[in-house]
Amino acid sequence: MSEKLPTEAAVTAAGEADSKTIEPVHGVHKPKYDWMGLTNEWGVRVKPGIHGLRLGDLNVGIYGEIPEFWEDQTRRPRGALSRPGIPPLPYSLRYKHEMWADCAADLYEEAIQRRWIPATEVPWDSLEVLPDDVERAVCQICTELSQCANTELEIIAYWQDRMSYGYFEVKQFLATVTFDCARHMEVLRKRALSNGGGLGIESRGRVNRMILESSGGWTEAVVYLYLMRGTYITRLLTGLLSSAHNDAESFIYSHMLEDHARHLTYGYDHLKYAATHRKGSTAIMRTLLTIGEGHMADELKDGVVRSAMAIIFGGGIEGGRTRGMKRYLLLVREFLEDYLALCRWLGIDREETLHPMLKSYLED
Amino acid sequence: MSEAVEIPEEHDLDTSWMENMGEWGANARPGKRGLTLADIQVGSYGDLPEVSDNMTGRPRGAAVRPEAYRVGAYSVHTLSEIWLDNAEYLYEEALQRQWSSATDIPWHTLEPLPDDVEEAECFLCTFFNEVEFVAGDVPARWIAKTTPDYLEARNVLVVQVMDEARHMDVFRKRALANGGGLMRMSGATSGFVGSIDLARDFTEMSTRLHISGEGAVLTMFRMGELFGQNEAEKTMYRLCAQDEARHVAFGVMHLRFLAAAEPERGEEINCYLDEAEGQLISGQQNPAGALAETSEALAVLLGGGMQHYDEGHKKLLVIRRRQLKEYMKRVMSAGFGERFENGRSPIPERYAASA
Ligand SMILES: [Fe+2]
Ligand SMILES: [Fe+2]
Repeated sequence: MSEKLPTEAAVTAAGEADSKTIEPVHGVHKPKYDWMGLTNEWGVRVKPGIHGLRLGDLNVGIYGEIPEFWEDQTRRPRGALSRPGIPPLPYSLRYKHEMWADCAADLYEEAIQRRWIPATEVPWDSLEVLPDDVERAVCQICTELSQCANTELEIIAYWQDRMSYGYFEVKQFLATVTFDCARHMEVLRKRALSNGGGLGIESRGRVNRMILESSGGWTEAVVYLYLMRGTYITRLLTGLLSSAHNDAESFIYSHMLEDHARHLTYGYDHLKYAATHRKGSTAIMRTLLTIGEGHMADELKDGVVRSAMAIIFGGGIEGGRTRGMKRYLLLVREFLEDYLALCRWLGIDREETLHPMLKSYLED
Repeated sequence: MSEAVEIPEEHDLDTSWMENMGEWGANARPGKRGLTLADIQVGSYGDLPEVSDNMTGRPRGAAVRPEAYRVGAYSVHTLSEIWLDNAEYLYEEALQRQWSSATDIPWHTLEPLPDDVEEAECFLCTFFNEVEFVAGDVPARWIAKTTPDYLEARNVLVVQVMDEARHMDVFRKRALANGGGLMRMSGATSGFVGSIDLARDFTEMSTRLHISGEGAVLTMFRMGELFGQNEAEKTMYRLCAQDEARHVAFGVMHLRFLAAAEPERGEEINCYLDEAEGQLISGQQNPAGALAETSEALAVLLGGGMQHYDEGHKKLLVIRRRQLKEYMKRVMSAGFGERFENGRSPIPERYAASA
């Protein structure tokens, strides 16, 4: 796609003719240069390393000073001089512990390096007709995962513009996450509509609702979005990758997994940061998890995803009833083991108090 | 010898959902540009509702589940509010043209500049580091409020947020990479009436952001060859211009769609454009604007130092002139060219005076 955008092609043609005629103009105002010499720190010379000039490299001198509370509700870049009289914007997340994770800057650069393009990089030609029940199951999972990505996108977009400018690394990383989510919705839709199938039935949306309703703070949303739902999605994607039917599906699931791993790295890291920097936060997380586990258990009980996954694992409805469902139940068990281990790492012991319906997946 | 046959455990399998899926038999095929969003607008999956009744966040065309939670309080749910005709194209184009500020800018071409020139460049970079993400914050807010039924248009906005994150970051990198630093903020996008942030209607926001604000910046970036002091800066402006062209195209195409779909909103749009033109001429959001401090920095860069300020200022006037011309072209393309003929807009007169 190298041609100009249709609307801009004519516009530039008009403008270019103009820029060739530089005429002398009289009556130039004397410059005041009021802006000169106004800096907090001068003489910075960050050099690119082997991975180029990365966002995290810029944190030198005062530019790397990241305060616990960001006073300024304007768009003043961190380290720039402020200016009196600037009306504030509604940046409501102003504490570092409300969004921070040390890895955000690196993850931001990694996301850019690892971008991919569904239209041209997925080997679509490798798709082959699948048995009807399997195609239906794949399409149903595409629909479900697409709705999960939509929820992730909507909750991030909701919070992003409330995050203070002082913590721009997080805002920038989250821009890569919503971009990933849009791409996931795109690629799942493309898969569902290109192999004789279609979309499935929408999700009941119990966990989606839980995530979207967690509007008390971004950290609270992260508890549900990443610690709980995200950990489960990793297992789903891993399972799908291991049963991919063709190169196109392998490509899609492996790239989604890679993106998703970045999202989780940020999410877990942020929760750890909040847990260690904000008094009482693990107690809040524990309360949220107690409630959230009930919703998660209810969603796991829902027949649609579990049977679709079982059909994919079992190679059809028949196999789905036996080995397919067995494997899906193992997947849920592995998810719960991951979840409990993460909770422990965060200093929240859920082993004893895990929701009984979830506990049942861990038995036998 | 007898062999024990293991009988696998049978589980219940709910397959009732198979009877209630979206339209079946979709067979989209990749074309010469791969499998694009346009290619998958097949059958009912390509049908765009004029008014979206999607309250649950389902993907467009998925089967409705009666017991699904109504979590999608989407305030943007009529097509004309947000739609544009080439959204699929803009989205795919954006994916093809992503770039990395870490590795795609030839940072090694930076060389020490005279103090006044470095200061001017850093002042400009501070301005952009400050204002680039207004175009990230604000679209994000609207994305959260837009029904997923209009996914193509919404996806273009999502990529814009990504692009702006990269712009914010490339200007910060430049400011801190050549012996300078950040300078004083401008406050150009703070919370005052008429600012991009505070618009309460999507089209009004888009006029302020895409047509007025980014339009002016795009023209300026396009002329980065004139004020970039080295290959790194020139590349930076060129790549940013490429992204901005898509953002501006979104605004132009959206206005065009809205004007055709709801001609009764024409006068309202003209009022937005009246304000946009004021911003273009003298607003702080236009870094080359008549009252913007950044104009002085631009003149220093264009002239190659304070001692050549007058020469730089002449070139700055060329940028301003080109901003006016490109603005008029865009507004004409959006279907509002009449305002330049009936005396409503001050732009033609300004343009003529600048010759
Ligand atoms: Fe930008
Ligand atoms: Fe932009």
